Amino acid sequence: MTSDNAMPHDRPQETARRAALLGLLFPAAALLSGCASRAASARAERPEIRGGPGAFAMNADGTRSFRDHELVDQDGKRVRFQTDLVEGRVFAATFMYVKCNGICRDLVSRMREAHALLAPVMGDPVQFYSFSLAEDSPEDMKRYMAEHGLDRLRGWRMLSGPSEAIRDIRWAFGFFEPNEELDRNIGKHTGMARFGNHRTDKWSACPALGAPEGIARGVIGVLPREDCARIEWYARQHRQNGRPIPGWRAS
Amino acid sequence: MRTPKIGRSNSRRDFLKGSALATGAFFINTRFSLQMLRDEPTSPFTIPWLQPLRFPNYAIPLPSWQPLDPLVDPAAHQRYEEFAPRYLYEHEICETQHRAHPQLAFSTLSSFCDSFPAPTFMMRYGQPAIVRMRNHLPATVQGFGHCDVIAHVHNGHHASESDGFPGDHFSPGTFRDHHYANTYAGGDPLEAKSTLWYHDHCLDFTSQNVYRGLAGFYLLFDDKDSGDENDPNPDALRLPSGVPDGKRVKHRYDIPLVLFDPRFDPQGKQVMDVMNMDGHLGDKYTVNGLVQPYFEVERRKYRFRILDGGPSRFYELWFSNSMEFQHIGNDGNLLPAPITANFVKLGVAERADIVVDFSQLPSTTTEVYLVNRAEQIDGRGPTGNRIPMASAPKLLKLVIRPKSGNALDPSRVPSVLKPLPAMDLPAIATRTWHFDRTNGMWSVNGQLADLSAPQAIVKQGTAEIWEISTSGGWAHPVHMHLEEYRVLTLNDQPVTGTVLGGRKDVFPLYAGDRMRIYMKFRDWVGRYVMHCHNTVHEDHSMMVRWDVVP
Repeated sequence: MTSDNAMPHDRPQETARRAALLGLLFPAAALLSGCASRAASARAERPEIRGGPGAFAMNADGTRSFRDHELVDQDGKRVRFQTDLVEGRVFAATFMYVKCNGICRDLVSRMREAHALLAPVMGDPVQFYSFSLAEDSPEDMKRYMAEHGLDRLRGWRMLSGPSEAIRDIRWAFGFFEPNEELDRNIGKHTGMARFGNHRTDKWSACPALGAPEGIARGVIGVLPREDCARIEWYARQHRQNGRPIPGWRAS
Repeated sequence: MRTPKIGRSNSRRDFLKGSALATGAFFINTRFSLQMLRDEPTSPFTIPWLQPLRFPNYAIPLPSWQPLDPLVDPAAHQRYEEFAPRYLYEHEICETQHRAHPQLAFSTLSSFCDSFPAPTFMMRYGQPAIVRMRNHLPATVQGFGHCDVIAHVHNGHHASESDGFPGDHFSPGTFRDHHYANTYAGGDPLEAKSTLWYHDHCLDFTSQNVYRGLAGFYLLFDDKDSGDENDPNPDALRLPSGVPDGKRVKHRYDIPLVLFDPRFDPQGKQVMDVMNMDGHLGDKYTVNGLVQPYFEVERRKYRFRILDGGPSRFYELWFSNSMEFQHIGNDGNLLPAPITANFVKLGVAERADIVVDFSQLPSTTTEVYLVNRAEQIDGRGPTGNRIPMASAPKLLKLVIRPKSGNALDPSRVPSVLKPLPAMDLPAIATRTWHFDRTNGMWSVNGQLADLSAPQAIVKQGTAEIWEISTSGGWAHPVHMHLEEYRVLTLNDQPVTGTVLGGRKDVFPLYAGDRMRIYMKFRDWVGRYVMHCHNTVHEDHSMMVRWDVVP
């Protein structure tokens, strides 16, 4: 796990030094330099993550930091797990892969139904992340999303990265099998969805193979209260159409 | 007593962890767990026995002239007129600042009535009550816990709408009325219960909310277990009596103890690993919310009602001198007869009711410790190993005062306590339930929890036999709402004559266990649940809704 331990937030001083140097060499880049310094400063506030795979650290403000793995989404865009996907976000995370012949089709179907129930908050603030367990390429992920009609859904990303990084994320979210063979067998991978609100450090999980209403409820369980008004309005509309969202609530 | 089937020595843990991390082989030990891999920080060191054991105040009903505002809606409750409330309570659920030890920091917790543990209900059969729960939590609860709540009286025989059905959670700024009829199940006094507890049961967030402080005792008394060791009634058991009420501890001999195992960050604030699906395991023990308190006892008999508050810890409780005591009740119930024992095992949410006679100790014995000898290294359950007495964690120090004069001890432990009620209704159906794990998801009969529809519908006034089994490497304390059950067989063996042969509302099943239970469905109709009381499992869908219909 040495590569996991060498993430940028573990070297904030180096980042800040480079940013300052850039500002000296190119005055026009001074603003950028300032931004970089602030970013480095924010990262400097993240505590060191100790422990093995799946470890995380608590920040002084009551939020948590995971290892900032570099991942790629279905559009080929490079993102950082902690910086771009977790910090300040509300999200639902599942694990799957393009060539899965097991539970993924069902899992995606139910997540898609949950997405429909959560339409008013999807994209802002709620994100759906589907992490690839098989190092799928952006092209494969993009094709998969198109085949399953996910590409048209707001706030849904597929993300891939080195299997060790995905395992670290999976374990950090608590999806761990104590039996090594089972843990590595992606044919029997987890069907759980993890819901998180980084800002309030609110976390829950439920089976993504359960009722879509349950998944929606899980997301709503970690939502900020102000966003629940939108859901409430939407649920009312749905109720009139005979499709209520049971058990909605605010965090 | 049974032992789980899996286990490795705790003494090898550090070696195995170090080896695994060094070689990259993370699974060389079958007991390897996420908790070990993550190398979670340990709680700050605390000096033991600095503080006396504390007790919550009694829950106080409103004055008789004061109604609830707004008034209770009788139409919302089954048999309201028949069990017209004699007492009205108003319970405020709010945040509180709690410090478990002088060397730790104050933590922001949830509470009933700004008290941790929550105020103790001193209820009596034949005296129905309304408890209005008002949710005054903030709209945003930072960290573990949730602002929505629903109170459940564990082991209560209550109407569905007052039971604390997990889906009935309510938000800050609102309230919910619970109608507690405090009546014997089926009208049978042999169904009397004594040690109940109430806790939050919010769907998906029970483990976090209970760990955050929403738990307290709900004690029930009647003419037999009257709570008065001087009771002139010849039918009264006259067990050691007097539940402490806040600071009124002197000459009180009926002592409720709730056990938790929290973890604290380096600053001393209570934390919870909400990501670990196996369950949460702390590295400190608290008794009534305090880390390693002491309690002064007289040389006489004491009744201790010990509750495992969870979320995932199992106990094997001994006194450090291995002294014997009388085990008089398990879960909420008095046993048919006391059993002499020198340890009790507790799964999550189980209770042990014991009477300890300190007058039998030699005068040289001035200190005794309550210790936990169950080895457990992760949330999956105990390993089955027994920790040596010398290294077993000490939970509570009992300081035995010198004998003072002719202090009388009028209490007793009769040889007959509470005969078991008859299983007189023929079982009209047999159902099977298998607690399992598939694709990392907790399931019952391969189904994931869905509270929108029942997985079983039973008829009021009937009885059924349920066969409950489990597999895999996890222990599952199976808890039933509404009714207690009787274990007919465990792994095809009868359990009569043992503690397990009494009435049960929660029963820990270990890998491969299979039990047959007998259960009646009486008095109330509506939605109820059966679930694993490792509340982390429960929150992740290891729950079944079943309904009683007329």
